[in-house]
Amino acid sequence: MSDSPEGSLQPESTTATARQEQALLQALEALEQATAFAKAKYQPEVVRRATDLFETDEGLQLVRKQAHRFDSAGVFHAGPWEHPDRLLPALVGGGLRAEGQYSSLEMLSELRVLAIAAGDSAHPKFSAEEALTFLREVMGLNLDLLYGSETEESRLRPKVYARARRILAMIEQEVSSEGLLEQVLDDIDARVAQRPIDVSLTLKMIEQAKNIQGGPDPKLAARLDRYLKATGPPTPLAKKADSPTNYRNLLANASPHEIENEAKVVGKLLTLTGLSSEYHVAFLQHVLKNDETEILAIALDLTEVGQAHMEQYRDKVLELMRLTIHPATSWIIYGFQQMLERMLLARPEVADGLTKLLNLDLCPTAQQVTKKHLPRGSGISANAAIVGGAIAMLGQPLGVGQGNNPTCQGARALSLWSLHDPGYLLQLLTSAARDDTVEFLFEGSPILSGDIGGGVADGKFDLKLDPVSRILVPHLDRIYDEKMKRAALRGEDPHKWVNPALYGRWVATSLASITMINQTVSGYEDFLRLFYATHHPLYDGGHDLVYPNPVGLLITNVHGVFLGYHAVSIQRVAEDEEKNIRVYFFNPNNEGRQNWGRGVEPTVVGHWEIPGESSLPFEHFAAHIYAFHYNQMEVGDVKAVPAEILAEVTTHAKEGWGKAFTWL
Amino acid sequence: MEKKTPVVKKARVGKKAPVALLGYSLETMEAAKEHHIPFVAVVPEGFDIALKEDGVDVVTWDFYVHNQNSDRLYEKLVERGVSHAVPLYEETVEWAGSLNTRLLKDPRAFQRALLFRDKAMMKRNAQMNGIRVGVFEEIRSRDEALAFFDDINEARLRLQEEAPEPVHLKPLSAAGSVGHVFVRSRQDITSLPDDAFPCLAESHLAGQEFSVEAFIHKGKIEFMNITEYVHLGYSQIVPETPKLSKQRPKIRKAIEKLMKAFGIVNGMIHPEYFLDHEGELHFGEVAARVPGGHIFELIQRAHGFNPYAALLLCSDPNTSKTVLDRFFPKEKDHKVFAANLMVYPRKASVHQLQFPKELEAHPYMDRHTMFEPVTAKVAERVGFGNHYGTVFLAGEDPETLRELVQRYEEYDFYE
Repeated sequence: MSDSPEGSLQPESTTATARQEQALLQALEALEQATAFAKAKYQPEVVRRATDLFETDEGLQLVRKQAHRFDSAGVFHAGPWEHPDRLLPALVGGGLRAEGQYSSLEMLSELRVLAIAAGDSAHPKFSAEEALTFLREVMGLNLDLLYGSETEESRLRPKVYARARRILAMIEQEVSSEGLLEQVLDDIDARVAQRPIDVSLTLKMIEQAKNIQGGPDPKLAARLDRYLKATGPPTPLAKKADSPTNYRNLLANASPHEIENEAKVVGKLLTLTGLSSEYHVAFLQHVLKNDETEILAIALDLTEVGQAHMEQYRDKVLELMRLTIHPATSWIIYGFQQMLERMLLARPEVADGLTKLLNLDLCPTAQQVTKKHLPRGSGISANAAIVGGAIAMLGQPLGVGQGNNPTCQGARALSLWSLHDPGYLLQLLTSAARDDTVEFLFEGSPILSGDIGGGVADGKFDLKLDPVSRILVPHLDRIYDEKMKRAALRGEDPHKWVNPALYGRWVATSLASITMINQTVSGYEDFLRLFYATHHPLYDGGHDLVYPNPVGLLITNVHGVFLGYHAVSIQRVAEDEEKNIRVYFFNPNNEGRQNWGRGVEPTVVGHWEIPGESSLPFEHFAAHIYAFHYNQMEVGDVKAVPAEILAEVTTHAKEGWGKAFTWL
Repeated sequence: MEKKTPVVKKARVGKKAPVALLGYSLETMEAAKEHHIPFVAVVPEGFDIALKEDGVDVVTWDFYVHNQNSDRLYEKLVERGVSHAVPLYEETVEWAGSLNTRLLKDPRAFQRALLFRDKAMMKRNAQMNGIRVGVFEEIRSRDEALAFFDDINEARLRLQEEAPEPVHLKPLSAAGSVGHVFVRSRQDITSLPDDAFPCLAESHLAGQEFSVEAFIHKGKIEFMNITEYVHLGYSQIVPETPKLSKQRPKIRKAIEKLMKAFGIVNGMIHPEYFLDHEGELHFGEVAARVPGGHIFELIQRAHGFNPYAALLLCSDPNTSKTVLDRFFPKEKDHKVFAANLMVYPRKASVHQLQFPKELEAHPYMDRHTMFEPVTAKVAERVGFGNHYGTVFLAGEDPETLRELVQRYEEYDFYE
């Protein structure tokens, strides 16, 4: 068949679109007329007909024209998309990629929000302004659909992706990407401030932020530029080189003065962002060739302490750097710097532990999960990659995250050990990487992770994790689950025994938890009093927290509705910049920025948080806690806690998660 | 969205006693509302919340639990002044029977319901009433199934080298074709899971298969639809095409015989028959609930009345003759033939939907219900229930329809 001229195709496709639009209008009318309980019978046809139209830009426009009718007609009646004020921007990306009718429903929902934003329709609980904010956030979170290139997944499901890109393009057109860059940069700032070990998402966002068109606001351009320099060519020389390999060649001919300048730039960028690039690797490799530790110290922006530590353990540092700093693992540079600042190589168990790992015979599982996440032919050994991962974890104890796994327990444990017993962490890692098993004692009897199944994640892990978590978390998850089974049916929260047995001697052996038998809360005031008397500096009798305390929180959504239980660790309780007492805690879900509704919004920056910490005013934290450990010998004055404070916290709790419970 | 005022309570002003609708069926509830028939929806837990919010009177019930508390459903319905119960799904048929035994003071209603639920009992009853059925046996074990297979083949005088005469195995009480196994060899029986037994085994009936949807009131057939199966479980045409239509008088007689045999006075039955090459009718099985395979939608499209409403009107002994006469059109008066094609992916893994443009543009094309596949891996078929979607067609010429469904049965809607 010869190429048919566009003219001959046009009428046919136009009539097809007209027919599809007619069908949509009919379906919408039938839905409008349906009685409330029967809406569900007519919804699928509307969704189906809209799906046909989603296949072209013109069709999408036609559906958009009807979007003001969706809410009143009942397109979302009695379904998860019913209330626009409860929509979460973070779920849109997943929704658009969903299967069956859900991706179409998600698109219809965005069109409805567009209609509200444009003033085509109004919603009593969702203003045009809120609609705009929502759409901007959706754009910020879906830059890949706006500007990204094809992926393996999108090639497999071209129609779904074409549709998703189409709706985002429409949002961009209607809402304009003005302000988008700023919003994305704010988001990157907040991610960077938390200094996670796994920075893959941040890197992706920076890469896509380049594509955002917008007014050339010099301030924003400078903010973006810093990130682009941290993750790409950092200096004019590097830019000129155009590739890390060329950069290294140029460095070979550079003057000592030039080298020092380059070192200053990469070092500063590292401290400012926690991010690094293959150019940074190239620079360090160049310097390592001549063992120039002074330049190294500048290129890592070490403090005097860090520099002294490096000089003292010079041979070890150089050896570890040569082995682990590699283009494929450029992200570990920040962890390396932080490990030096923590002076961890002064501890023989750490130095020896790392050496042992370098020469370890890896079990096939550890080999496999490690290699799988390294670029093919990258030339770095699995051992070196694991040691690099261990260094990152030792440098960034609060950068550990659970990823997409229900394993907050494992992440908390790794963080705690990295902080307080790095030797033990390396020992466990060695055992898991070599023997494919780790051994724990529970009340005197040993548990070998290799011998048991189970686990909260039931053996299914999303391995988008740091190299150490990838190897250790599956073991820890099974151990935790097994201990929970053994401690079950004792009439008390099993964590009382399991937490000290899992995390170690840092966890106090007494556990206070809210009595919540049969969804009924009792003795809440006593519980709160004890929390204040063990954790609040004014009432704890001077027994301030030393080690992280694994605690349980009741989590609510943006609307203050009870969602479920979550595990975090209290890192410290201290005054913030306004002399308010705050709880600083580690949230293993790797995203400390949360909104639990009714003014409770954990922050990650701005209240003197250490990178990786989240924080809340003490009373907000108190209103969400349901279990914590304490030392019976270190309880302050329980009676000193003012009744008004307790009443306030109790009211807050009752009106939030407490609504899901009966109160006695 | 703003909630409308509760609609059902308004409709109850006429003081008519409500009917209990057993099972979650929006279509039936909607039909009830349209015909001002007050109702109580009896649905499994989880289906109640949205209905309640929309002002529907709801009772939640677990139809799978039978114990000494089963009486509670009757009590709940009596509290609401319910007149009678209408079953909408296979699993609710005996519940309706047991409720109607007391609500309608019909002592045999429950046992009759069991006739519909136990396929062996059903066939035995049909046979005793002189209705032609295949050879059947209740089978308790794999060995008995093998023996049945051998006996049938022996009786058919099959030689070793010939392909064996097939038989069917089906669960004693399941909707339509759920759990149905078509056995072509001894090997098919030995590879069955242990939980396939006990079951019902029956000989194979060849010929044109069709179903009848008979709406019956006071022992009289008010309307008889015939659904012609183009390919069992894949495609069907409503009403029957001219060749089968010639058999209408014979089929009507067979239905009357069936009604007598099963004591059906009010409601709807959905029996399946085979018409063999000699023009003889063989009875397959009969259900007393809304048929599967979207047959009601086809009836509505072809005949222009709402079969859900018809079911409700016929189930109520007090519906007047005038109402029924006004409601039902003449059987011969249909303007179009309606057909559907149930689509099952033809590959082991599918990525996306590819609906043929030429079918979409065909004047007989009504609509389809397919979306992007939910999982890439295609599920195995259970009964004829889990198809991925349905294509609905309608037009004046039944042969064009038949040709269309047959052609697209071979088509890969998913790539």
